[in-house]
Amino acid sequence: MKLLSSYFKEMRIAARGFYFYIELIMAVILLVILLVAVNEESVSKQKEFLYYDMPPAVEDYIIQKEVEKGALKLIEPTEFKMKAVEFEVENRETDELTSYEFEKEIYNLVTYEEWDPDTGKLIKTAYIAETEEQMIRLAFQERKIGATIVIDDSGERAFRYYNQGYETERLVNLLYILHNKLPEVVEASVDNQNVRKLGEVQTLNNRENLVPVMVVFMGSLMGFFIVVAYIFLDKTEGVIRAFAVTPSSVWKYLLSKTMIIITTVLISSSIIAIPVLRGQPNYPLFYLLLIISTFSFAALGLFISSFYDTISKAFGVLYFFMIAMMVPAFSYFIPSFDPLWLRYFPTYPLLQSMKEIIMVSTDAVYVLKTSGIFLAGGLLLFILANYRFKKTLTV
Amino acid sequence: MISVKNLSHSYSNDDKLAVKNISFEIEKGETFGFLGPSGAGKSTTQGVLTGLLKQQDGEVIVAGYDVKKVQNERFNKIGVSFEQSNVYSKLTAKENLDYYAKLFDVPTRDSVELLRLVGLDGKENDMAGEFSKGMKHRLTFARSMLNNPEIWFLDEPTTGLDPAIAATIKDIIKEHAAEGVTSFLTTHNMYIADELCDRVAFIIDGVIKLIDTPKNLKLQYGQKLIDIEYTDNGKIVKETLKTVTEADRRRIGEIVNNHDIQTMHSKEATLEEIFIQVTGRELV
Ligand SMILES: Nc1ncnc2c1ncn2[C@@H]1O[C@H](COP(=O)(O)OP(=O)(O)OP(=O)(O)O)[C@@H](O)[C@H]1O
Ligand SMILES: [Mg+2]
Repeated sequence: MKLLSSYFKEMRIAARGFYFYIELIMAVILLVILLVAVNEESVSKQKEFLYYDMPPAVEDYIIQKEVEKGALKLIEPTEFKMKAVEFEVENRETDELTSYEFEKEIYNLVTYEEWDPDTGKLIKTAYIAETEEQMIRLAFQERKIGATIVIDDSGERAFRYYNQGYETERLVNLLYILHNKLPEVVEASVDNQNVRKLGEVQTLNNRENLVPVMVVFMGSLMGFFIVVAYIFLDKTEGVIRAFAVTPSSVWKYLLSKTMIIITTVLISSSIIAIPVLRGQPNYPLFYLLLIISTFSFAALGLFISSFYDTISKAFGVLYFFMIAMMVPAFSYFIPSFDPLWLRYFPTYPLLQSMKEIIMVSTDAVYVLKTSGIFLAGGLLLFILANYRFKKTLTV
Repeated sequence: MISVKNLSHSYSNDDKLAVKNISFEIEKGETFGFLGPSGAGKSTTQGVLTGLLKQQDGEVIVAGYDVKKVQNERFNKIGVSFEQSNVYSKLTAKENLDYYAKLFDVPTRDSVELLRLVGLDGKENDMAGEFSKGMKHRLTFARSMLNNPEIWFLDEPTTGLDPAIAATIKDIIKEHAAEGVTSFLTTHNMYIADELCDRVAFIIDGVIKLIDTPKNLKLQYGQKLIDIEYTDNGKIVKETLKTVTEADRRRIGEIVNNHDIQTMHSKEATLEEIFIQVTGRELV
């Protein structure tokens, strides 16, 4: 009851202040950017390196058929400056390692655009390598999908993929679904193919791919910063002291603040996520993770603000935390930058979980595990913050 | 109602004490004044008694509750008016009180009536943030009465208020005293202490110098004083002399014999003069 009246009071105050609207306006701006400036297809930037492992006549025949369907369109050849490199490729089935060593050289590759004949939209650009090694090297250097196309026993086309290695089995399977289209083929392919590690798997379009970043930073960063701003507003006004001499407990005061942040974040995230993703995400998981992660970051904000009496004194620490929270975004956008230490930043698993939630085949266990860890950390910080706040009251 | 034994408090948790080993008892229905200059430790004492500051030492019982133990329900019986007003500036006066009322488990007073009582009628729906300092102070004061407290902590209840409003506040405190409310009142204004308090404690540098009723103090320390105004070479001179010391009495005779007396009043020593006598310091 007291918690609820505190919540409604905080909501009323929030609605009369500007932080609340900053967050909502931010959400609307981000949504507009996503819808207007980010091309949903925008896969034109997507590259795929292919090697046709078959007699040239068969290759020509297959490609010619695709060109006639309107699925492939020959464009200018593309030049690739290849760096000197050494790397290993592991065969998933046999665990066999193959080492490669290359000198600096220049490739000139036949280039096709892949079009969807039904919708008439550009899907991606495909570069045809002359040898399988060339294809693997390109995929490795460009951090893109590489595939060898073979004709299997039944005369069907099949793909042998190369990806980075940290994708889950489920994701790898998904790749087959996307590229082979027919589910029956998928089953067979999954069983028969050698799956190797290399390259990056892109299963979300660019617009969708931006949503986890926006939602996570909206929740964690904004939640963190705004709860701190609210607390310092209250500290200046001294209202927490008035609260401390009522039969209500300080934790209810702190929780009511946190609930305001969660409400704001739920609204702003929905503004972004629903129009862009529509029915695609697992919404129960989406909101669960959002509530828990916002709670944790708000608790961190509460804890930090308990050490300072003005926001200007807290600035240095706040900056540090905010920057630290943003770092995992680099790895999110630049897959080649993915050092191990980065995975210990709390926003890293959060970004990955959000991405999982948005994807058609969500790894619910991973998301729930992340949520569990965040909940535990958040509760601990909240308890510490409560203890600190009770200790730092003044007359 | 309030019992304090050997209470000390240090903000830095060391031997730098803001309050040093103080003890006192406050009876039910009593208005107890803490009188002392700025920095004496008045607010610190109130802070420990209200549980805002952690009790470090000694024993403090308020309304039957040991302050050391966390028992929030005791605040149903306690009202606290702060030295520095602390209200939500983004809420109206009425919203401030209505919200606060919901935090108690006991029947609370009507917010509009309370606002009228402190002269804020007509301002119910104005944002507290747009209030003057004195208005905010009155809102803080009004808030402390919401739960009909049995024990009332008043930190400088009239400081910074204009005389008419200060008089209203004093009347409210007197009415509550008549109804049996126990009050702990801090002030550096001896008139307030004299007028409102059943007993006063003189506190300076964290130490209680004495505790007594204003009347006893005046009987004990107050001598009659005489204010004399006379002309000396065409100039008006004013002197205050004691009737008990030999030198002063001789000086009175001298003035009466040699000068033209303009006015001459006898008066009782004020609490402030007694404070200076006892502590050797002024109430600033
Ligand atoms: N938050 C604080 N941190 C450290 N020292 C403090 C703090 N608050 C007060 N003090 C110190 O404690 C002593 C007593 O201060 P206190 O506020 O109790 O005085 P006071 O009698 O209420 O004075 P005033 O009439 O100015 O309100 C002072 O020396 C003051 O400097
Ligand atoms: Mg004070």
